[in-house]
Amino acid sequence: MTLYYRFLVLKKRCRDCAPRCLMWGIRRLSVLLLAVMTCLVLGACSGGEENTGGDSYFAGSSGGETLRIVSGSENQELEHILEDCARETGVNIEITYLGSVDIMRTLEQGAENYDVVWPASSIWISLGDSSHLVKHAQSVSTTPVVFGIRQSLADELGFVGREVSVKDILSAIEEGKMSFCMTSATQSNSGASAYIGFLYALMGKQEAMTEADLQDETLKGEITELLSGIDRSSGSSDWLKEMFLNGDYDAMVNYECLIISANRDLEEQGRETLYTVYPYDGLSLADSPFAYVDHGDGNKEEAFLEVQDYLLSDEAQNEIQRTGRRSSSLGVSEENRDVFRQDWGIDVDRVLSPIPMPAADVLMEALNLYQTQFKKPSLTVYCLDFSGSMSGEGNEQMVEAMAQILIQENAERNLLQASENEVNIVIPFDDDVIDVWTAPDSSPESLEALYNEIQDEVCAGGTDIYRAAREGILQMTSGYDLDQYTPAVILLTDGMSNGDMDYDDFQEFYREEGVDVPVFSIMFGDAEEEQLEELAALSNARVFDGREDLIGAFRSVKGYN
Amino acid sequence: MKSKWAGLILLIVVIAAAGIYYLVSSGNRVTVLDGYLGGEKIGLYEDEEVADILADRYHIQFSYSRAGSLDMVTADQTGRDYLFPSSQTTLEYYEDEHGRPLASEIVFNTPIVIYSHRLVSDALKDQGVVTEREGVLYADMEKLTQMMLDGTSWADIGLPELYGSVSVDTTDPTKSNSGNMFAALLANVCNGGETVTDADVAQVLPQLQEIFGQLGYMETSSSDLFSQFLNMGVGAKPMIAGYESQIIEFAVENPEDYEELKDDLVMIYPTPTVWSTHVYIALTEAGEQGASALLDEEVQRLAWEKHGFRTSGYGIVQGTIPGGVSGVAAEVTQVIPVPGYSAMKQIIDGLS
Repeated sequence: MTLYYRFLVLKKRCRDCAPRCLMWGIRRLSVLLLAVMTCLVLGACSGGEENTGGDSYFAGSSGGETLRIVSGSENQELEHILEDCARETGVNIEITYLGSVDIMRTLEQGAENYDVVWPASSIWISLGDSSHLVKHAQSVSTTPVVFGIRQSLADELGFVGREVSVKDILSAIEEGKMSFCMTSATQSNSGASAYIGFLYALMGKQEAMTEADLQDETLKGEITELLSGIDRSSGSSDWLKEMFLNGDYDAMVNYECLIISANRDLEEQGRETLYTVYPYDGLSLADSPFAYVDHGDGNKEEAFLEVQDYLLSDEAQNEIQRTGRRSSSLGVSEENRDVFRQDWGIDVDRVLSPIPMPAADVLMEALNLYQTQFKKPSLTVYCLDFSGSMSGEGNEQMVEAMAQILIQENAERNLLQASENEVNIVIPFDDDVIDVWTAPDSSPESLEALYNEIQDEVCAGGTDIYRAAREGILQMTSGYDLDQYTPAVILLTDGMSNGDMDYDDFQEFYREEGVDVPVFSIMFGDAEEEQLEELAALSNARVFDGREDLIGAFRSVKGYN
Repeated sequence: MKSKWAGLILLIVVIAAAGIYYLVSSGNRVTVLDGYLGGEKIGLYEDEEVADILADRYHIQFSYSRAGSLDMVTADQTGRDYLFPSSQTTLEYYEDEHGRPLASEIVFNTPIVIYSHRLVSDALKDQGVVTEREGVLYADMEKLTQMMLDGTSWADIGLPELYGSVSVDTTDPTKSNSGNMFAALLANVCNGGETVTDADVAQVLPQLQEIFGQLGYMETSSSDLFSQFLNMGVGAKPMIAGYESQIIEFAVENPEDYEELKDDLVMIYPTPTVWSTHVYIALTEAGEQGASALLDEEVQRLAWEKHGFRTSGYGIVQGTIPGGVSGVAAEVTQVIPVPGYSAMKQIIDGLS
């Protein structure tokens, strides 16, 4: 590409002095051509970039363009189609998964590392594309955001075979008959859409939510109550589905296509499937736009169009329908109706009449209120590894990490700021628990004081992550009503545990406690992932790498809590 | 030694080839014009036939960033050669912000229409809001506006499957042209069918605020709104305001899709309606060439036949409609002038 560019520049320069310049031009060209030939011989610039990152990579052809896609996690289920696409088009595809609201933020910042955005809904592109980078947006499929409720519970609640409103669901939650999982409204489209639907229903409005409406005290009480029915949260929809399958929960708010996908797994495992409820006063529809981010590279644009054409082709659309997504405008073909099973409550003939999204500033205010006031407060225990192996770089990274989350000026920049009633506890450990520091409240001063303690602590001794995690859970169960919080233990460690306690001891303890507290890990230094993965699997959590993308790791963890 | 000579000969051949390539290509230089484009004209810009004419006859190539008609006036114009919005108001807005442009030219016209679904237009026919004449649907804007102001629900007019109240979704009238034009139309309707002047704005603004306040989030591009209308079904977008050109372009480009959708998809001409005037504004000397290129007879013909824009030569439709689109009016007669810039500015400010 750069070579091509130089060609153009050269031509332009010579325009005014054509004959005199010609020989010079040819000389320059020959130098360039020599460079090209050398490259070809050495294979040094064989065209396509290397796979530099992303969560998944599908090789097209070695000389082909590489498209870097940032996508909502719900599209993870379409990877087999992307794999075929890469093979067919010769375009290499690199895909990174993020919540749609995070994709909007990425776009706001120019999305330099991506060529394609693929959020769940168009609104996140229009809100984020303030610098007019996005072109060729086309909806790849549509799917509504729905409630999937355990079949027997849906029966019991009388939700089967009739119209259900958000209010009906709210009553079930208030009466303690149902709790549910939902993605974080400040990170993911399904969570944000459902949350906005809740607000409309509670306001008793059908349209035109205003900022004044959001300040209403009654609403505040009701929405807080409704959100207190959330068992678990996550930063993106597919992760929510995975978490749901790994646990034992009543219901989840998710895309119809992911309810279908979850049901397939549940059925296979011989477990109870979910019944799909379309709340008529709070429904939203995701239209999955696949859009080009123009950084001025014509070859990329061509590659993009090829990939988009492939995704919109009859063949790919058929495959996409087989995953439980509806084709844009044409819906579901006769032969694919078997995927959209009526016995799961799926209804493809229903007119989907979604609520309107509020105006941009009202929407942003609503999301802000969700983060700082309405959502269930988080109860977080940070277990920080101060063992000898962490000293030096590992410790520096960890302290820096805590500065990002505890110093509120930093946290605010990444929408990680503390909410009103959240609780933060820090447990420094080596082969034993060193201390327990609890911030008296979530004010910036208290959190900074917590950070100062961390900064002053020195590394020495062995490592026992299990003892620290156990202490974290004991702190929670002894001092707090876990129903009122979204709890999480977050281990910041290099994970080389060699203390008295081992995984089996911890597993026994965890099962005896019988609480649903996830133990997340953020890895530092020369991290050993295995022990941390074990903990994550046991507690239905995840492991993140703090060395590569610390903020990303924190945003992901906070999406869960 | 031998291979060394072979290499040198190869190099000379390559250099000679490059020299010839250079000589040939320099006679055919194409200037790339960069600017902001209203989304509804992207199809025309991406049309290879059009691009070939522009390159062969005028030695230009258009590059663009998509922007709403009003947004583009205030967007960063560094390095941009032109603006190509869809209204005369934008030109006046531009003049107000930046002074007179180097050149400006009206390139096409297209009337504002309402796109809807058969289900909805049938219900509106029953209400006497929509009437059909010679296969063309017309909406009585006074009645429709009253319905919106009264907060009539879809259920009230026999469509309980639709949630909420009767409304026409538009793009953001403060940012994009089709929404802006529809606001201008509603303003005139609320003004008793007379074009709003500065003196009338205060009187009609509360009604406009009420109607647009109901819409919540509005798209900033007409093409996005139209594709969402097509993709998301009657429930999501029962009615939208758009350009007549959009359906023609869609049908020409996607004949099979149009065939499948055409029984459900309807176009309704508001009575009265307003013209959207696509005016090309040159910002640089290079950009000036763009105007004459777009006015090329062949380009104008393609603009109608493939993209549905009515041009000076194609104001009255004769013969078959491109794409076999049904329900296209041969002539758009009931048109009301758009309020002048200063009244429009007050309307825009009032809706911000």
